[in-house]
Amino acid sequence: MSSGPKKRNFQIEAFKHKVVVDPKYAEKTWKVLEDAIREIYNHNASGLSFEELYRNAYNMVLHKFGERLYSGLVSTMTLHLQSMSKSIEAAQGASFLDELNTKWNDHNKALQMIRDILMYMDRTFIPSTHKTPVHELGLNLWRDNVIHNSNIQSRLLNTILELIQRERTGEVINRGLMRNIIKMLMDLGPSVYQEDFEKSFLQVSADFYRAESQEYIECCDCADYLKKAERRLNEEIDRVSHYLDTKTETKITNVVEKEMIANHKLRLIHMENSGLVKMLLDDKFEDLARMYNLFHRVSIGLSTIRDVMTSHIRDTGKQLVTDPEKSKNPVEFVETLLEKRDKYDKIISSAFSNDKTFQNALSSSFEYFINLNPRSPEYISLFVDDKLRKGLKGVKDDDVELILDKVMILFRYLQEKDVFEKYYKQHLAKRLLSGKTVSDDAERSLIVKLKTECGYQFTSKLEGMFTDMKTSQDTMQGFYAACGAELGNGPTLVVQVLTTGSWPTQSTNTCNLPVELSTLCEKFRSYYLGTHTGRRLTWQTNMGTADLRATFGEVHKYELNVSTYQMCVLMLFNNTEHLSYKEIEQATEIPSSDLKRCLQSLACVKGKNVLRKEPMSKDIGEDDVFSVNDSFTSKLRKVKIGTVVAQKESEPEKQETRQRVEEDRKPQIEAAIVRIMKSRRVLDHNNIIAEVTKQLQSRFLANPGEIKKRIESLIERDFLERDNEDRRLYRYLA
Amino acid sequence: MGVQKDRVKFNVGGRRFETTATTLAIAGRNSLFGAMFDENWDMDPTAAADEHFIDRNPDCFAVLLDLLRTGELYIPPNIPERLLHREALFYGLSDHLRAAKWGPFDGNTLRLSRSIPGRAPGDGTAIRAGPDGGCCVAHGSMVHVYDWAMEEHPPMNLDYQRVNDAVWVDSNSIVLSACERLGRDDGGMGLFNASTSELKYRFHVTHDDQVKSFTGGALSLNYSDYRLFASCRGRSNEYGVGVWDQVTGKQVDFFYEPPGWSLGEADKLQWLHGANCLMVATLFPRKDNCYISLLDFRDKERMVWAWSDAGAPVGDERRVRDAIAMEECGSICVVNEYEDLGFMDLRRSGGAMRWRSRSRLMKGKMPDEPCYPKLALHQGQLFSSMNDTISVFCGPDWVLTSRLRNGYGGSICDFSIGGDRLFALHSEENVFDVWETRPPPFM
Repeated sequence: MSSGPKKRNFQIEAFKHKVVVDPKYAEKTWKVLEDAIREIYNHNASGLSFEELYRNAYNMVLHKFGERLYSGLVSTMTLHLQSMSKSIEAAQGASFLDELNTKWNDHNKALQMIRDILMYMDRTFIPSTHKTPVHELGLNLWRDNVIHNSNIQSRLLNTILELIQRERTGEVINRGLMRNIIKMLMDLGPSVYQEDFEKSFLQVSADFYRAESQEYIECCDCADYLKKAERRLNEEIDRVSHYLDTKTETKITNVVEKEMIANHKLRLIHMENSGLVKMLLDDKFEDLARMYNLFHRVSIGLSTIRDVMTSHIRDTGKQLVTDPEKSKNPVEFVETLLEKRDKYDKIISSAFSNDKTFQNALSSSFEYFINLNPRSPEYISLFVDDKLRKGLKGVKDDDVELILDKVMILFRYLQEKDVFEKYYKQHLAKRLLSGKTVSDDAERSLIVKLKTECGYQFTSKLEGMFTDMKTSQDTMQGFYAACGAELGNGPTLVVQVLTTGSWPTQSTNTCNLPVELSTLCEKFRSYYLGTHTGRRLTWQTNMGTADLRATFGEVHKYELNVSTYQMCVLMLFNNTEHLSYKEIEQATEIPSSDLKRCLQSLACVKGKNVLRKEPMSKDIGEDDVFSVNDSFTSKLRKVKIGTVVAQKESEPEKQETRQRVEEDRKPQIEAAIVRIMKSRRVLDHNNIIAEVTKQLQSRFLANPGEIKKRIESLIERDFLERDNEDRRLYRYLA
Repeated sequence: MGVQKDRVKFNVGGRRFETTATTLAIAGRNSLFGAMFDENWDMDPTAAADEHFIDRNPDCFAVLLDLLRTGELYIPPNIPERLLHREALFYGLSDHLRAAKWGPFDGNTLRLSRSIPGRAPGDGTAIRAGPDGGCCVAHGSMVHVYDWAMEEHPPMNLDYQRVNDAVWVDSNSIVLSACERLGRDDGGMGLFNASTSELKYRFHVTHDDQVKSFTGGALSLNYSDYRLFASCRGRSNEYGVGVWDQVTGKQVDFFYEPPGWSLGEADKLQWLHGANCLMVATLFPRKDNCYISLLDFRDKERMVWAWSDAGAPVGDERRVRDAIAMEECGSICVVNEYEDLGFMDLRRSGGAMRWRSRSRLMKGKMPDEPCYPKLALHQGQLFSSMNDTISVFCGPDWVLTSRLRNGYGGSICDFSIGGDRLFALHSEENVFDVWETRPPPFM
């Protein structure tokens, strides 16, 4: 740069002076610029003076030769691009894309430099004449002369598509080059990218995946197929992120989803020995999660999975609850239910991303089949009973809560919650009275859960039972403090005072107690009534227990743990050797069914037969004769003699419970009707039925026929009346 | 520290300057400096020995270099502004210069920047602000165009017919509407190149597939779907509002004037984006009564909303002189000749006008040659011109917050806001004022 610039400056000065006179000014100046553009395209720009070129272009615009400058630019750039196009066409085989990419980079760089020189024109002349700016012009010319050249256009498309195809079959291709080429198409405008590439790409991809999915579905099982589909999907997403326009992602994934998933949706789900049902049966969490994620992408994919799952749970659940074998053991019955629920809970949480709609489907399925078996409430209560009796021994508090929570889930599914309450009350009463409750905390915890679920009313009686137990303890302490001295060494009495109504009432007659006890009982009665005036005490001898000291054959001494009835029977043998059934019945006045059970457990159970029966048989006959079994021995000093009781209710008992439940429902239905009518004043029959059912839903499913009966009863009692004109309308009478 | 590495030397028109590459970077890639030192050109700006020669005015270069260094513009008295603008254009620094001259528009911080005297005879009709700081002024049959530097471009005319309205389609195009010359196809509406004043396109109106000559009245644009609206007067039954596509220039719709109403002679059109409606206002004294209506072009059977003072007692001083729709408030604001503002609910047709008397006793104080009040709305600020003053109202209750007044030039017959500037056209001396917000202070 020593003598060069000076010389040029001199020349420019000459131009300036001649501006007005030289008619060839524009052509000369343009020649300088045209030469410069050629040098730029020839990678020979280092000798050019930017300042001079910029000033030349500026001067041309200033002196109204903008049009000449612009048209010159278009023609010279077109010329350069045509020669570039020739060299790209000439490139053989794999070098085609390389050459295209190289030339594209060259053109871009040149375009930038040309724009730098022509910046003034770009800023002033072009907007005021509404022409295409230089950069955009350069891209358009490239598009028209190179990309849309008939010898290049289809070759380019085919090359790109072929490379993608090769990559799909596992070959490694030059992703960098692909990225550059695709980027070029995108730079030329969205329409070029879409028309010259994306459209065909999607079409070819659809064909490819249609064929591939057809092949896979014939030879793969469901899990394998889904794995392959997932891999293909990820490959396409990966491809987009590496060298395609991000907007293509949804389009290409849609193609894969449609061809590989949506089109084979049902076939996949129902595939024999590997479809959804099989996966559910075998707890294939990974496969299920994959299916969920893939089907999630297609319309009504998830609902199809959900429907199949629902019907599967319903079917298997129905089999379970209606299987007479399972019903034999209530605890096992409930345990199977819990296992089933745990299983699906785990599937939904680990494979179906805790999808709410799936959880709802699970709940509704359980609700459906649990209520198919009318004894479900009883069994669930029995399960709890079993757990609270012995099952929870040595189990940590947290685990207890866990089991109770699970039970509550099953409880929620029950439609007849009041039936459950009935049974629960019975079972709880037995547990409390026989002192079999393992954990008071667990008992109370469950009550609290029931309370939060169904409200105060539901558990008030259950809580009353606990209160009774507590006050009874205090009463007994008081009794012995007051009367302990005069009682001496007689038998010890423990009385539990139960509030009528809180406990399951059992209308039984009091049996005749042995004389030692009846006097003691009388003492307690007078003590109790002395402290609590205005109350009535009746003895529930069918629910008590007794500890006896017995001596067999003058040698063997045992402590016997028996029921009150059994105690009454055994005490008879203090005075005589032999007693017939009739005599026992007469002396004790125990109801015959209970007496038979009681004698059975005393005389017929092997190892615990403290009585001997004539004749020896399993069942108790009216004419049997009993005597003390002097040869009774036992390894333990304390012998517990159970009563032969059916754990499950027998058929008549069930009927009775059922009847009691129905009776209890009546006032509840009536209360609901009155509540509704009080606020609505006038309502038609169907609406009453609907509202009552809704109000009582949390406790039981009210029977419309029963509701109708209750309405009629309320009309009879002048709570309601029928409308005179419209007989379907009821009015509330205040 | 040793030798500063990013030092750059220039020789501009024989004078030496030294600066840094960092300072030059402020100019941006789209400037001469940005291009010159791009790596493509393989010029090392900091090569210590080289100085870069630029064959331009050194004084202006000094001012512009200072602008790049400080962001502040200081023009010495000996440099004409015009010269500086030319140089800035050469270096590609026009945007920097413009940004340094005035800041974002706010009606309450406006300062009078300059007053431009016009040469045209007679009263000015309208002044319209362009999108990037320029404006155009209609006087009789001529329209004078000024760019942001207030350089005047060649004037434009449409067959030398009286111009009724002008509108900037973009920074380089203006549409004019003019009276028709009976019996000839002159007048009507034309699209002009704002810098060369060339007529690029003439808009036509067809009725029953026949091209008819017409008088173009008020103009308005819908920028979102490139529509151009104009009130048109043709033969007796060819009054109404025409709609053209800005891209193709073709007429796409026509709303014929219903009987007993006025659309074709409207003084003001305004497109409402939210409501997808056009407000059309014909005002006293063009007609004896005022008619304001909203048109929905999807339903040309009826007007969506209409209000008129026809039937009001004669001599009512509350004559509407200008109207503007305020979509954010769902109301139309009007002004009477005493600059009392009135409001009407846009959501209810036929609602009453709530006048807000500003209890200014203007009667008796009116100048000899009063100008009718005009209204403008800009970013939640309401502007109203009255005599030689423009009032600025803000807030939900439109409290008067500022007054713009220039003692020279007489009453303001029109004003316009755009390109962060307010232009006010005076009637007497044929002068217009440029108001702009100063750039924020540096401290």
